[in-house]
Amino acid sequence: MAKVVVDAMAMQRALTRITYEIIEHNKGIDGLVILGIKTRGIYLAERIANRLKQLENATVPVGELDVTKYRDDIEHDSTENDPKVTVSKIDFPITDKKVILVDDVLYTGRTIRAAMSAIMDLGRPQQINLAVLVDRGHRELPIRADFVGKNIPSSQHERIKVSVSEIDGQDSVEIIDR
Amino acid sequence: MAQRFLILEDGSAYPGIGFGAGATTTGEIVFNTSMLGYQEIITNQIYHNQLIVFSQPIVGSIGIAHDGYESILPTTKGVVVRDVTAISKNRQRSLSLDKFLKQHNIPGISGIDTRHLIRKLQQTGTIKGSIVDVADDHAFDQLHATVLTNQQVAQVATPRPYPNPNQGYNVVVIDFGLKHGILRQLSKRDCNVTVLPWQATAQDIINLDPDGVILSTGPGSPLDLPQSVLEMIQTIQQRMPLFAIGLGHELFALANGSEVSPLKLAHHGANHPIRKIITNEIIYAMEGQEFVVNPDSVNRDRLITTYVDLIDGSIQGLRHRDYPAFSVQFFPDGAPGPNDSVDLFDEFMEIMGTRE
Amino acid sequence: MDNTIQKILIIGGGPTEVGHETELDAACLQVIQAFKKLGIRPLLIDNNPFSAALESVQPTNMFIQAITVENVQRIIEREQPDAILPTVGGVLAISVIQELQENGVLADNGVQTLGIPSDALMDINNPDRLNRILSEAGAPVIATETVGTLDEAVNVAAQIGYPVIVKPIAPRIDTNRILCDNEAELISAVTRGFAWSRFKQCVIEQSIVGYKEVELVSIRDVMGTQVLVAGLENIDPIGIHSGDSMVVTPTLTLSNAEYQELRDAAFAINNQFNFTGVVHTHFALHASQDRFYVTKVTPYNDRGTSLAAVATGYPIAYVAANLYLNQKITDVRLPEIYHFKQTALLEPSLDHVVVRIPIWPFEDIPNADQHLGTVMKSVGSTIGVGRSMEEAILKALRSSQFSPQDELPSMSDLSDTQIISQLIHPLSSRILVLIEALRRGYQVDELNELTKIDPFYFVKLNHILTIEEQIRQQPMDVTALQQGRYYGFGDGMIARIWHTDIDTVRALGQSNHILPTYKGIEPSAGELLHSPTSYYSTFEFENESEQISDQSVLVLGRGGNQLGPNASADYFTTEMLKQLRKSGYKTIIMNTNPNAGSLSATASDKQIIDPVQLGDIMNVIEIEHPVKIFVPGNRHYLTRELRNRHYPVSVLPPDQEKRTHLETNHAEIGLDLFVTPGHIVPILVSDLQSDQGLATTLDQITLMRAPASIDETQLNRLLAHAKEYLAEHKRTGMVQLLYTNDTTNQLQFAGIRPTRLTTIAYLNKVTGINWVRMLVRQALGEIREDLIATLPVDIHSTRRSQVRGTFPFKQLQLPDQLGLTTQEVGARISFESLPELIDEPDNK
Repeated sequence: MAKVVVDAMAMQRALTRITYEIIEHNKGIDGLVILGIKTRGIYLAERIANRLKQLENATVPVGELDVTKYRDDIEHDSTENDPKVTVSKIDFPITDKKVILVDDVLYTGRTIRAAMSAIMDLGRPQQINLAVLVDRGHRELPIRADFVGKNIPSSQHERIKVSVSEIDGQDSVEIIDR
Repeated sequence: MAQRFLILEDGSAYPGIGFGAGATTTGEIVFNTSMLGYQEIITNQIYHNQLIVFSQPIVGSIGIAHDGYESILPTTKGVVVRDVTAISKNRQRSLSLDKFLKQHNIPGISGIDTRHLIRKLQQTGTIKGSIVDVADDHAFDQLHATVLTNQQVAQVATPRPYPNPNQGYNVVVIDFGLKHGILRQLSKRDCNVTVLPWQATAQDIINLDPDGVILSTGPGSPLDLPQSVLEMIQTIQQRMPLFAIGLGHELFALANGSEVSPLKLAHHGANHPIRKIITNEIIYAMEGQEFVVNPDSVNRDRLITTYVDLIDGSIQGLRHRDYPAFSVQFFPDGAPGPNDSVDLFDEFMEIMGTRE
Repeated sequence: MDNTIQKILIIGGGPTEVGHETELDAACLQVIQAFKKLGIRPLLIDNNPFSAALESVQPTNMFIQAITVENVQRIIEREQPDAILPTVGGVLAISVIQELQENGVLADNGVQTLGIPSDALMDINNPDRLNRILSEAGAPVIATETVGTLDEAVNVAAQIGYPVIVKPIAPRIDTNRILCDNEAELISAVTRGFAWSRFKQCVIEQSIVGYKEVELVSIRDVMGTQVLVAGLENIDPIGIHSGDSMVVTPTLTLSNAEYQELRDAAFAINNQFNFTGVVHTHFALHASQDRFYVTKVTPYNDRGTSLAAVATGYPIAYVAANLYLNQKITDVRLPEIYHFKQTALLEPSLDHVVVRIPIWPFEDIPNADQHLGTVMKSVGSTIGVGRSMEEAILKALRSSQFSPQDELPSMSDLSDTQIISQLIHPLSSRILVLIEALRRGYQVDELNELTKIDPFYFVKLNHILTIEEQIRQQPMDVTALQQGRYYGFGDGMIARIWHTDIDTVRALGQSNHILPTYKGIEPSAGELLHSPTSYYSTFEFENESEQISDQSVLVLGRGGNQLGPNASADYFTTEMLKQLRKSGYKTIIMNTNPNAGSLSATASDKQIIDPVQLGDIMNVIEIEHPVKIFVPGNRHYLTRELRNRHYPVSVLPPDQEKRTHLETNHAEIGLDLFVTPGHIVPILVSDLQSDQGLATTLDQITLMRAPASIDETQLNRLLAHAKEYLAEHKRTGMVQLLYTNDTTNQLQFAGIRPTRLTTIAYLNKVTGINWVRMLVRQALGEIREDLIATLPVDIHSTRRSQVRGTFPFKQLQLPDQLGLTTQEVGARISFESLPELIDEPDNK
């Protein structure tokens, strides 16, 4: 049983609101960089960057972050231990920047912790803020999002499925009872 | 039905057929190019002190409907049309547009070359006119001598607060001559609404501890309202989500240091494309404005331009950089007009939601 | 914009038939103009000899072939276009492209479809799939079920309960819906439906007969930006095919809330399907229960989109052409003649009313069932434009009746029983019967109950009767004349009521300054000042139409399409306008057919949409003072009246009836010639036949085939005879000499007649010379005799070709019968280059 809790329009609105909140919070976009956590976080990051560009007529750099090997809850293949082997794409410095970390769903917090580790490996930003499309609760770490599209209190038996039109053909957030 | 005249400040007189009330009235001539929704337009209080010229060639064709009121007591000065039809579709089959206007002492005149008038107004800009029985010197003298009040808001806004109870967010609506479409949209979203008179102070509002505030549409010039209104806005926008519409938008711009100036010719219609800047979408909405925010005056450190009209280039929306406060010049509630931007009310709900 | 597309194959509309007339070709022409401007090479397949679009593409890009899967496939394989356009070819184009998609031809050749995404293409004419998608878009739809056998159909219908509607799935023709009140009707409908469906399937659904039918025309670009161009309101309720309904734009009996709900639904549907270009969405509204259903989605040009374009002045097909190539609406630049800030984004707002009244072919096909229902029967339509409902409807009515003297037929002979019966089961005389009922004192509520037509329209029709009475009561009264003209009464009508002549009426108007004021047809409702090219008259304060030039020519259109030569008349008129422009004149067209290509804004310098009646014509003449007036040959009364008033009249398209001289009413060989005072140019000699073989009378000759089955000696003898005959009987222009075989197989002279319009169109295609333009130049006195002699026409050519008339019998549910020239709904041509296509059987 899948139930759509955020439709395309609502998702657009959530991203619009997050964009304005980012401007409000940072008093503009100076020194801002956006890092999307793969896979869907990247598309959301790009959309936020597009919106900022529309409003401020300035480009905010967008990077892609792959945090798989930083996850403490996934066992890693020892051959992948070379720190240079990374699929993250960040071709700009992040030291002293204000980083907006973007992901689709905030759940246990472990992805975000891993993402912060990844970022710290790359440089020393001035600050890191977190924007998520959905906060579904059930945190296992002391992590909190600064910008939330929608709070969806969910049971652990449910799955939250975020679709973005770039790869899924539609924009939606669904709750799936498993 | 008797012959009556529409006379204009420039000395021209147009014979037509009177309908509605037999009153002689004077007001500014404005035209509306919307193709439907005459009842909503006539009952919108932004037309206080004005004579509305309809470009839609036929009005009255669906009578008067329950869901077509934008105010209960319309105060427009007159209705100028090419053709009026006496249709009544209410339960008693007894309320035509003609009768409705009689009830509210509003005169109408039909048989006017409204297309000519609209084309002419492009050249003259906004001018005064009267609906009269005889187009003689006396009538013109009266027209020239009439000074229209600049206290429109005080005339049409509610003098005392009233509630529209529900279970959802607590929203305060400041009434500057509120169109009901705003209440309808809040009602649909279960808001617990309190409507306050336009003189409400920031403290009055804060005392009610609302989740958000809406500054309503209304008639007249934002420049004629006292400084205290701007001060109220300056305080409130720092404290809670704020959504301003129409006249409210103009006041919001003034409160944040922008200039607002009168248009040479008022614009009323729903056919201009409007660009929503953040997503580059094109939307259509009912516009009804006599004033416009001067783009050069917008303090970009404080405000972001969010919507712009692609035909005349006018600013149609603003947002504060530092606070969850935003405004639109057009009417997102439709009534009449497209619903393309009605989800601004959802956006407002969601902003209130993030602050719980 | 998508730069990978350089070459586009356009599927043309094919021969005119019930369901579509010239609107597809008119749209096609606009699309071609837009494509060319974008540097794209358009290929066009069509076998309609009256296609003006065919004239606008290079011969190498022109494929005069029947629109079949095989032919289109062959062109795709040979020409390798980048894309194919399904949106100007009606339902046939959709079905052909569907098949090409199914059989993999499009994918194999890397051809993409424009406007309608592949998935959507499979959904739009499959009611089952359509309903599923519509539901996903949140649009309300009627519960339906698909059936593949008669047994299933009977069971499903019993479940739903009668009346039910039957719709064939993926039909080959524009069938719409068939209403069935009982099992017998159901069986008949489903049997027919299976035959029409490509999948031998039908859908059965609950009946919504009596609902109000509203249509919206919108455009959408690849970004999802949408513009609502127009709302069309059917005066007749669901139960009468919208093509047979009287239609009004803008909508007049909808509340803002209702209208916006439909707009939202239309936009959501367009988004769901991801259409680009123009979409025509049909809705059924319950008048009082605040309920609506989506009944049809047509994401292509049709009569609805063409009405919307003419009514608003918004160049829909041109804009759509840009959008097909993934251009954004914000980037579409309109041609200079559309002055509304040159933006395609201004949502049209109207300050006039347009009424469309259909024209039915029953005069020429008297044995057809004249009842209006869910299957379309009309072959054309006319519009009236006015500043009031009364004015618009009267003008449309005056144009739809073809009364030479501008009078409306009387229905006073009908008995009351007949009136009631026809109110419930309308005939093509629908509107006249409604007026007659009101005349006899039927009440508005009563009529609303019987007809399901909104009371508003009866109030308006009643007002027309009041004005008529006022005119009758006050002969030669200035106020009565003013009121009459103000509400759309023609001078001819008023003259008849007053038992006087039209000049007396006009003189009264003149001396009392009751003068026509022309108003622009443009989409800003007067808000943005500019001079449009299209006008209609009314009697108000300001006139916006000034004399365009002291070297102008007024061309009178034939009005709405009927059967017979009318099908080709619009093609003729369009080509005339082109030549007149080329000859240096400013052109003014007066016409009322919303589907006419000749009425498009680019075809002439000024378009006047008013009844082509004497009074209205003189109104135009008095402003424009044209140096020449072209009157179509069928308007004898007009020609005579205008000549009597010493106006510079020329008759074109040529008169089809007069100047025919016959020895016998039978012919087998035709020799077409172009004749000037100094030269006789033989153009083509052909076999003349009926649609089913030998023609026993001239009006059965609806097929021409060249070369004729005569030998060189016989041909030379005919040419000699023609020369001799024409030397003796002075004629100019285009004529056809007729010959017949006698018992000894000797050719005998059978007579002479003006070359038929259908034939002229055919001769244009066969010879590559535009004979319409030659005729225009002749009328203008521009023909150079020395050049006539060098015209590259080869009467001895052995290239095989043929033209044959098409008939509406199948759609009118008549048994196959021998078609007459007066019953032709269109024609199709074919050439030898594809021998296997010659003489293919009628696959309709």
